[in-house]
Amino acid sequence: MIHFDNVTKVYANQNRPALDHVSVDVDKGEFVFLVGPSGSGKSTFLRLILKEERPNSGAIHVAGKDLARLSNFKVPHLRRRIGCVFQDFRLLPNKNVYENVAFALEVIGKPRRFIRKVVPEVIELVGLEGKAHRMPDELSGGEQQRVAMARAFVNRPMILLADEPTGNIDPATSIGIMKVLDRINRTGTTVVMATHDAAIVDSMRKRVVELEDGKIVRDQSRGVYGQAY
Amino acid sequence: MRANFIFSEVWIGLRRNLTMTLAVILTVAVGMAMLGVGLLINAQVSMMKDFWYDRVEVSVFLCHKSTAIPKCGGKGVSDPQLKALEAKLKGISGVADVIYEDQETAFKNFKATLAEDDVMSQTAKVEDMPTSFRLKLADPDSNYQPIVDAARAMPGVASVKDQREIVGSLFDMLDKLRSAALIVAGTLVVAAALLIGNTVRLSAFNRRRETGIMRLVGASNIYIQLPFVMEGVIAGLIGGVVAAVMLIMSKVFLFDGLAGYLANKTLGWDDVATSITWTMAIGVLICVLASFITLRRYLRV
Repeated sequence: MIHFDNVTKVYANQNRPALDHVSVDVDKGEFVFLVGPSGSGKSTFLRLILKEERPNSGAIHVAGKDLARLSNFKVPHLRRRIGCVFQDFRLLPNKNVYENVAFALEVIGKPRRFIRKVVPEVIELVGLEGKAHRMPDELSGGEQQRVAMARAFVNRPMILLADEPTGNIDPATSIGIMKVLDRINRTGTTVVMATHDAAIVDSMRKRVVELEDGKIVRDQSRGVYGQAY
Repeated sequence: MRANFIFSEVWIGLRRNLTMTLAVILTVAVGMAMLGVGLLINAQVSMMKDFWYDRVEVSVFLCHKSTAIPKCGGKGVSDPQLKALEAKLKGISGVADVIYEDQETAFKNFKATLAEDDVMSQTAKVEDMPTSFRLKLADPDSNYQPIVDAARAMPGVASVKDQREIVGSLFDMLDKLRSAALIVAGTLVVAAALLIGNTVRLSAFNRRRETGIMRLVGASNIYIQLPFVMEGVIAGLIGGVVAAVMLIMSKVFLFDGLAGYLANKTLGWDDVATSITWTMAIGVLICVLASFITLRRYLRV
């Protein structure tokens, strides 16, 4: 599903690479934690998958497509198959829960009948039934992140990228967020989650890829956050 | 493509930047009106040229007894001289026709240009009138100075009057007016383009959250950019409508008055319609271009 082959990314005006000869494979339906300190290259990894950045060398394949050969014109179609969740939720403050989720479908031109059918379903999936008409500022952080996950998942993407989704949320609420991510993963969606949260990684017992200074220092199936001694 | 989604976005954008939108509308309106006036002057001049140049003649005045020009030597033209002169004038290339105007005709024409009680018309006598040849030109637009020079050199010719010199200075003035209108139009078009660029940039900044999410969920570039371009286009169109009203007013108050003095044919509504169409098309085109160029810089897709 996601295939990095010897990928190096150096940002302009920086001599140290953000990613340094990274090769990694993520299969369909996998759940992968991307761990490592700040600046280790986790976000760059996610941005490369979305083709928001281009690698300096190496090849990236996402959903069977070579990103280097994907024309700019087709990038939006790639992004429709990838959902994204961020630490800061990125909801539209002037739209309610339903409208925020529907927005993702409206802007890719889905018919209204379809939107009316699938949006309530996905709101229920993330556990926000009955709150469809709340505004984002009336919701707790955990609930706002659920809205963001509903928006990311409403178009049934093949891949869900989560960049520290629990970074702004207390540990108790984080468990609920992880349950939703797990539920999404069980529908067959590949999930890649970048995180600092050791407790979550340890409790989930999923594959862990650790980055340090842009290099993969560990790739463990059923791993934990810290070094396995 | 969902039209109502695009239009609601456009409406929000226009309302948020109301003052900028008004500035764009006014600049586009005045700029396009000046462009239209330039086009109208152009049409008016070419129409007046058609009208006048059909009538323009070179008048070759002949010597007669009382002519005080030294070349004539106080003698009139004799009949054989007259015949020879007519044949020679007809022989010049570029002369379509030669008409002889005798003293009676000249007197009649002279009286027709003056009021009944004018002193001149009461004191002038038929004998005072000069006789002349009127040369019709084959191609009034070409340079016919050689014809004038050739006629002037012939014996028995007192003077040669080129009527085009009179209307020519008028056309020169109108040409200058047109150039001035077009220069003002050009300046305002640049100002309008910069203003539109600024408006679009403000809009893009105001809506960076929305566009960021649109990019993320895979909205196509057209879907993201169209609301911004439409904002420019709608502002441009409204400006164009205001310009059209100004042009219609300029036709009624300016050109119809001008034409009353200078030509018996006025600028038609079809000329106004043509210039309105042109100004609208150019106005909208400029808006689209300015929006697109700005978007490429400020809205990374």
